[in-house]
Amino acid sequence: MNGRPMSCEELREVLELYALGALEGEERDQVDDHLARGCETCQRNLRDALAVNALVMASVKQATPPVGLKRRVLAGFGIERSGWGWLGAFAAALMLLLAGWLSVQERHRQSELAEARSQVIQITAERDRLNQAFNFLNQPETKQVTFGAGKPQPPKGNIFINSRLGVLLIASNLPMLPTGKTFEMWIIPSKNSSPRPAGLFKDNGQGTGMNILPGTMDSLYAVAVSIEPEAGAQTPSDVILVAPVGGA
Amino acid sequence: MFPYTDGDLARRLRARDPHVMSALYDRYGRAAYSLIYRVVRDAGVAEDLVQETFLRVWNRAQSFDQDRGALGPWILTVARNRAIDHLRSTDGRMSASSTELDRIENPRLFANFEDSAMTLDRARRLREAFVKLTPAQREVIELAYFEGLSQTEMAARLKQPLGTVKTWVRTALKVLRDQLSGQAVA
Repeated sequence: MNGRPMSCEELREVLELYALGALEGEERDQVDDHLARGCETCQRNLRDALAVNALVMASVKQATPPVGLKRRVLAGFGIERSGWGWLGAFAAALMLLLAGWLSVQERHRQSELAEARSQVIQITAERDRLNQAFNFLNQPETKQVTFGAGKPQPPKGNIFINSRLGVLLIASNLPMLPTGKTFEMWIIPSKNSSPRPAGLFKDNGQGTGMNILPGTMDSLYAVAVSIEPEAGAQTPSDVILVAPVGGA
Repeated sequence: MFPYTDGDLARRLRARDPHVMSALYDRYGRAAYSLIYRVVRDAGVAEDLVQETFLRVWNRAQSFDQDRGALGPWILTVARNRAIDHLRSTDGRMSASSTELDRIENPRLFANFEDSAMTLDRARRLREAFVKLTPAQREVIELAYFEGLSQTEMAARLKQPLGTVKTWVRTALKVLRDQLSGQAVA
């Protein structure tokens, strides 16, 4: 390589590896450069590489997921599967009775295990969010905008904008959320455009919260926060913050 | 078999309808579980990682292009990355950091796929391409896709010069690409 710029054709040979996160050093930097410059050939080739990768991933021998996995997955979203019917429910209740005291300890252990697994998943998700945030802050091209400084009541904090990685909002002084409500972040790409949903988040119980909208950011005029129902909204209703960022 | 298109599922995901997760699991749960199990070889861990995969898809769906996005490839990539991240955390490897994996599963990358990118015919061609690979080429593909190894790590694992490993990888990928595009020489 020796620092020689690689052509799109040469980069095409390694885009599958790039899309797997398995490309290193100078080769990876050169792909990054081409994509950051908006090279259409490389963007098209990257889509082809992602499709090749997906086909390889889909080619593995199909395994049967354990019974109950769907219920576990859906329980994470507050959904229980229906359709057992009263007969099934009765049979299940009878089985539980028959199992009786023999199963109490085992169920207790399983419950603790499930809770521990759930906690691990939550901690992993939180770790991922923090890693993303650190990555934002570590990039030299990340632009920082401060809002609400010196004001005691309205939300205050910082917005970090990185054209390659997205937008990171860190806010304090957030109002207390009513039950069944959540904060929703919005981005306003230009002065006359409508707000676009940019993710739901909650505070830490003390009025401080963080949200990341990942992805490339071509233009950004302002970031806003509103209070919405738990499921979020497509247009903001109770807006508590609008912070211009000095963009397009 | 499925009453919804991927576009329907993507729109409901973006609208934060939690009930879409049932349909999404029906369509992609088995593929995600099979892929993760292929990587981690542990049913309990695979279950946890499938949960994590769907949670992540839900949390990041706002950036997904509901009209032009390729839902299947994105979900498989998220699933594969969760499994690789798990492998990496258990064996202490640091080749692809969590942020790197984050970056390459950005939902915005999975837009504007060709309609013909994920057909059964292409899946069949891919299987045929694998048969054409030499054992060494097949091994490096397995190490890249299912163990998340970089070329430097492959060279160390296989006790081969880096240049040799790079040649195997590039040749193998070219065979797959050519076979998929119909340019392969029989």
